Amino acid sequence: MTTADCDAVIVGSGPGGSTVADVLTAAGWSVVVLEKGRNHLVDLAPPHERLRHFANDEVAATRRHLLGPDPRLEPRTYRRSPADGDRLLTGEVNNLPSTVGGGGVHADAKLPRFREEDFRLRSARGPVDGADVRDWPLGYDDLEPHYAAVERAFGVAGEDGANPFAAWRSGPFPMPPGDDMPMALVSAKAAERAGLHPYRAPTGINSVAYDGRPACADCGFCAGYGCPVHAKGDPVASLQRALRSGRCDLRPDAYVTEVVRAAGGRRATGVRYLDLTGYPDPPVREVRAGRAVVLAAGAFETPRLLLRTGLGGDLAGRYLMVHFQTFTVGIFPGPTGGERGRSVTHLHDDLMIDTPGLRAAARAAGLPWLRGGVVEHGAGPGPLDEARTYPAGPAHTRSMADSALRRRLWAFTVQGEDLPQAGNRVDLDPAVRDVWGFPAGRVTYAPHRHELAASAHAAPLHEAVMLDAGAEVAFSATSPPQGDLDVHAEVSPLGVAPASRHVMGTARMGTHPATSVVSPDQRLWEVDNVLICDSSVFVTSAGYNPTLTLAALAHRAATLLCGGAA
Amino acid sequence: MTALFDDRERAALAAALDARVPGSADLGAVAYVERLLTALDHDPPHLWAAPGPWAGAGPRWLELGPWERHAWAERVAEWRAVYRRVAAGAPEPADARVVHAHACEAAYGDPAYGGNRDGAGWARIGFPAPLFPPAGAR
Repeated sequence: MTTADCDAVIVGSGPGGSTVADVLTAAGWSVVVLEKGRNHLVDLAPPHERLRHFANDEVAATRRHLLGPDPRLEPRTYRRSPADGDRLLTGEVNNLPSTVGGGGVHADAKLPRFREEDFRLRSARGPVDGADVRDWPLGYDDLEPHYAAVERAFGVAGEDGANPFAAWRSGPFPMPPGDDMPMALVSAKAAERAGLHPYRAPTGINSVAYDGRPACADCGFCAGYGCPVHAKGDPVASLQRALRSGRCDLRPDAYVTEVVRAAGGRRATGVRYLDLTGYPDPPVREVRAGRAVVLAAGAFETPRLLLRTGLGGDLAGRYLMVHFQTFTVGIFPGPTGGERGRSVTHLHDDLMIDTPGLRAAARAAGLPWLRGGVVEHGAGPGPLDEARTYPAGPAHTRSMADSALRRRLWAFTVQGEDLPQAGNRVDLDPAVRDVWGFPAGRVTYAPHRHELAASAHAAPLHEAVMLDAGAEVAFSATSPPQGDLDVHAEVSPLGVAPASRHVMGTARMGTHPATSVVSPDQRLWEVDNVLICDSSVFVTSAGYNPTLTLAALAHRAATLLCGGAA
Repeated sequence: MTALFDDRERAALAAALDARVPGSADLGAVAYVERLLTALDHDPPHLWAAPGPWAGAGPRWLELGPWERHAWAERVAEWRAVYRRVAAGAPEPADARVVHAHACEAAYGDPAYGGNRDGAGWARIGFPAPLFPPAGAR
């Protein structure tokens, strides 16, 4: 293969891009995968063994940008609205890893499917003032075979029939659930007493040896870390299959700067990229693709590339959604055991269901309906993150020994459905640039009052559950924080920008070019051999971790692209 | 390698680090800072510890790309200036944030980086030793 001779060039090697590479190479296509970040995942030389770069190392993972991006090289900016001026802060905003494997590497791999209603929210629940709630151009039934395929590809452990609200499945989970975190059993029992329906989380972490990878050892370094033994269902398996086909050329350190179009502009011929192995003047290289250009750089970097290239029209970057997170923290009299385990082992979906309680809360807020999100029962941070939370001085030692915010902490995290609003967007910052001279991506985001009302409903409910579970104290907070940002900037470990790494929307799919960026087959309306295969295409955010759905969509789009049956 | 600080300056650094996180100096915080500020004197830089022997024989430190080295060179240069001021007893207000972060890392980060001597920082808060520790300078 030469740089000018592949069937498809794929921008991004995360769960979306790796899934596309896997499908296309299996169908006999040749692909080049360009990844902006470094490679810590898989040997580029045959036989493409898994690399061993990850350890239980909080310093490297949380303080030294091992998984990238380094905000010194690639700053992002954030503001709540244009009233904040050009930007409120510069630095880390919604940073997903920039590394081979992308967001699949750092995630703790909760991989729930969306439910049927999530794809037809407008029809099922109706419009909401100030938001652009629409149905997706495909339904759950269309996606189910692809959910099943990516569950097998990543290796998802789960318990069939455990979640009474789950969508239908064509088959069982590929493997049984892993070990429960002991404190999750306590919080799950308390949730049941409150009438909630907790269940073992579908998780892309091996509970048994699977696909040549070992079972999880419950080391406790899961959320935010690469897996030392590759028990996690990051994209390593998909990438290995693609590489071992002999038809995949994976290039890390490749920063795609533009989509190259043929004369007339209706077809893309490839992409240009900076080869970041060159320093200080990285050479510009081009990959020419005979059939397709696939953008899978994530819902932040994909619209940034579209905007740089002049693709996607005014809708490119709009309808950014991030999941409005509500954390209910319980401080218990003794250790919660969160140092071991897979960060989160139980979920409940009750806030996604149309219940009398949520209907009443919606009426009280003057809204037609409310949906919260999936609720994660999980452990606290590592000791280094905890240490940075406490004020300096003599009290620091006492705080660490007491460890209210780690050793005695247990949390419910609501991944709150974030309604699509045109004003929430990623665009190009007018002044801040990355180290290579390209405009930084800028987030403009403020929650809709739906999110605030759903959060206000969830917080007291979960505080009561925490207290019933045995917590001495329970309190709630949100990300992004509301209220006095100066206070939050000083004390909040999560900062003032949305801390969620669930970034969605920004190139939504639809049935008409006036209201969407891509078609139901995820092709750009204006350049139909350019596909978007990441969470940019989400029409609504649901309240579920997005990875499995974006990978299922990528699997479907790639299957259609190479002539398979959807 | 030329030492960055003399004994008097190290004492000033220890006091500043201890003022943020008491006990951090005893846990090796000055060594942690000195190793951080000289990390790029090594090749590969001593910034990302590689997995330990449990992962098989391999390098003790992971390689950085040229742009990552660029970012870290800038960062380390700024921090050297911070610690020069701290060592001279003339810190600026914003320096406290840097010193605090490093005192926390030195007390509760992995011993591979020169702090948390023998895991004593973890022992005093009841944090269990990692199952898959990095190699680094252990």
